[in-house]
Amino acid sequence: MLSEYTITYKTKNKYKKNTKKAYWQFLIIPETNDSQELVSFEFSNSENILYQNSINGYGFLVFRVHSTNESFNKIYFEANFKVIKKYTNLIDYTEPLDITKDYNKLEDVNFKIDYNTFLTNTQLTTLPLNGKSLFNFNKKIAVLDNLTELNKWTNTYLSFKKKVTNTKTTLKHIIKKKQGVCQDFTHLFCAIARANQIPARYVSGYLNQTSGYLGDSQMHAWAEVFVPNIGWVGFDPTNNLLVTKNHIKVCHGKDYKDCSPLKGIIHTKGDNITKHSVQVIKQQPQQ
Amino acid sequence: MTNISNNLFSSYVKNEELYDEIYDSNGDIKDVYKKLFSLYGEHSLTNFVKLNSKAKASFFNQGITFQVYNKKATQEEIFPFDLFPRIINPEEWDIIEKGSIQRSKALNLFLWDVYHEKNIIKDGIVPIDLITSSANYLHQMENLDPPGGIYNHVSGIDIIKHKDGKFYVLEDNIRCPSGVSYVICNRTALKRALFGVFNHYQTYSVTNYAENFLELLETAKPNGVDIPNSVVITPGIYNSAYYEHSYLAKTMGIELVEGRDLFVENDFVYMKTIKGPLKVDIIYRRVDDLYIDPLEFNPESVLGVPGLFAAYKKGNVTLANAPGTGVADDKAVYTYMPEIIKYYLKEEPILNNVKTYHCSRPKDLEYVLEHTHELVIKPVDESGGYGISIGNKLSKKELKKVKKEVKENPRKYVAQPIMSLSVHPTYIEETNSFEQRHIDLRTFTVLGKEKEFVLKGGLTRVALRKGNLIVNSSQGGGSKDTWVLKK
Repeated sequence: MLSEYTITYKTKNKYKKNTKKAYWQFLIIPETNDSQELVSFEFSNSENILYQNSINGYGFLVFRVHSTNESFNKIYFEANFKVIKKYTNLIDYTEPLDITKDYNKLEDVNFKIDYNTFLTNTQLTTLPLNGKSLFNFNKKIAVLDNLTELNKWTNTYLSFKKKVTNTKTTLKHIIKKKQGVCQDFTHLFCAIARANQIPARYVSGYLNQTSGYLGDSQMHAWAEVFVPNIGWVGFDPTNNLLVTKNHIKVCHGKDYKDCSPLKGIIHTKGDNITKHSVQVIKQQPQQ
Repeated sequence: MTNISNNLFSSYVKNEELYDEIYDSNGDIKDVYKKLFSLYGEHSLTNFVKLNSKAKASFFNQGITFQVYNKKATQEEIFPFDLFPRIINPEEWDIIEKGSIQRSKALNLFLWDVYHEKNIIKDGIVPIDLITSSANYLHQMENLDPPGGIYNHVSGIDIIKHKDGKFYVLEDNIRCPSGVSYVICNRTALKRALFGVFNHYQTYSVTNYAENFLELLETAKPNGVDIPNSVVITPGIYNSAYYEHSYLAKTMGIELVEGRDLFVENDFVYMKTIKGPLKVDIIYRRVDDLYIDPLEFNPESVLGVPGLFAAYKKGNVTLANAPGTGVADDKAVYTYMPEIIKYYLKEEPILNNVKTYHCSRPKDLEYVLEHTHELVIKPVDESGGYGISIGNKLSKKELKKVKKEVKENPRKYVAQPIMSLSVHPTYIEETNSFEQRHIDLRTFTVLGKEKEFVLKGGLTRVALRKGNLIVNSSQGGGSKDTWVLKK
């Protein structure tokens, strides 16, 4: 079964002083992969500056806007996407015959080399010393079951609260405060998975919130972990869910820094205010 | 003291424990230096002092200066120049040239491998930490094929001669090695001061660097480009090597630009000109990796070009050197160079490596802590001679401090035996006489697509302070003209 979504991403940027030269890069385009397809998109801005399509350092599509002559103190951007999400049968998963084999795979040098990018911790995904023993894997149960437990644990350990953290908050602070938003849940989940030799990547995307899921009407974040014999599996620790048809992926990276939806290089003096909003609407189910 | 019969060298004291470049094993002046020795001997001291100040003035007049960091007030200084040249005979040069090419090629293959299949790690030749704990490994470079397959277009390899008379490599510099402009300017200054001495020697020219460099750089042009447009990008006039950036652009006959002179449109790079935008295909960049593109790397950077990395990733522009090369000139990688050379080239290393202890290995750390007083301790990720401690020059208090620091951050340090760099007669202004000073040699190797070039010369750096082993200009070093003799 397929579901069709319409996604609207809006951002308003206001500058204290008029600005002329600016670059904006938007990492907000849903990718096309096995479980979703980007059908169409529109992108516009209040100053009618032409945009370009390009890629970021990891090869994900971006919109780039480069203003050179226009002078303004505010600019609005709006993007609309139509995405078809294929019904995913969560995971076609039967109990592995030999659990130790999966754990041995994780210890294999070649495996570590191939997945080194998502096994290496970054500034935002480094556990403080006292964080190493927060959650321990039970080697008697399957890797996937441990991750399901970890997902549940992260969801319980942190409580969802806006405005107590920002995109630069480290795990040391998050673990102490036990509060945060989706990127904090995801950073903690990834760090613990990596500490247990599981490749984990930070995913940025959209969440259909009508089902009562937590998010903050901006972009959502979740994690993908590589499970031997299965492949990349999505976990949403903020909602204690396996990633479903309600998650629309944009990109992945090592942490938030690789996925930040908007990057701006603005030549202006004085402050600026940026506001984002995201709306995901599910269309009538299609056959 | 033998053969010291002329004015200038009459007070030259030869320390028998050091390897003096101008003497052979019998204590006689080497054949290649005999003529030079007598030519210099014809000058009286007063005359020589005059020549020396003339040469110094020539540097000031040409504006050949550099800046020293970490001083209260940053200021322009000239790079001290010594009038007594270093001569390298053809047999020795052969080793240096072949060895430099061998290392540069091996480093290039290593870079390709660590950013693609990583076979060298899978085969257990080097540990995975070399990439996972390196701050210079750029994940964005994974599976990216640089135009022409070249990462380290220019390599600056620092070579010394130890007291055993053999050549050792101290460092491979493959980020943005600098110093080549001084090689050329030293030659000019010496020719202005003492033109006559060149008549007695068949010396290779060094002024052909720019043309060879540009020619090889252009072999690694992006696909589909016929006649490439190349530029040099500089961080600007406040950079310590600005003189060199402008010099190279001028001698290569290409534009010198700053980040703000370029822009990216639809993943192609353009230069702003009064006639409109002009496409740029090759950028010799002297801006560090993390500053080249604020949209991809450091967003605070005003030195870079927004969108440049995407243009590079799409294969529309050549960056020389490639971003992410720093992972291979890490001092931890250095220690594996003999294995790296054998692995990729199936050859024995031509130039020796200095035995290195990795403080990250418990056994090595133990040795280092016990023998700190007889080792050189180096931070793995600093350049320019910063942060180096020489064991036998430390006070008890300093020794203790160094040990503590190493113990706390073992991955940050490597240690090597104290190498005794060879010495060369160097004119010392304070004493108005020639004295022995330690020297090294930085060679400049350019890799092109299936073609390479080593500048026949190089930068001989001299540590002007007595007994000092660190030759970097930022640490009070000077330089000498370096003659490579024709066969």
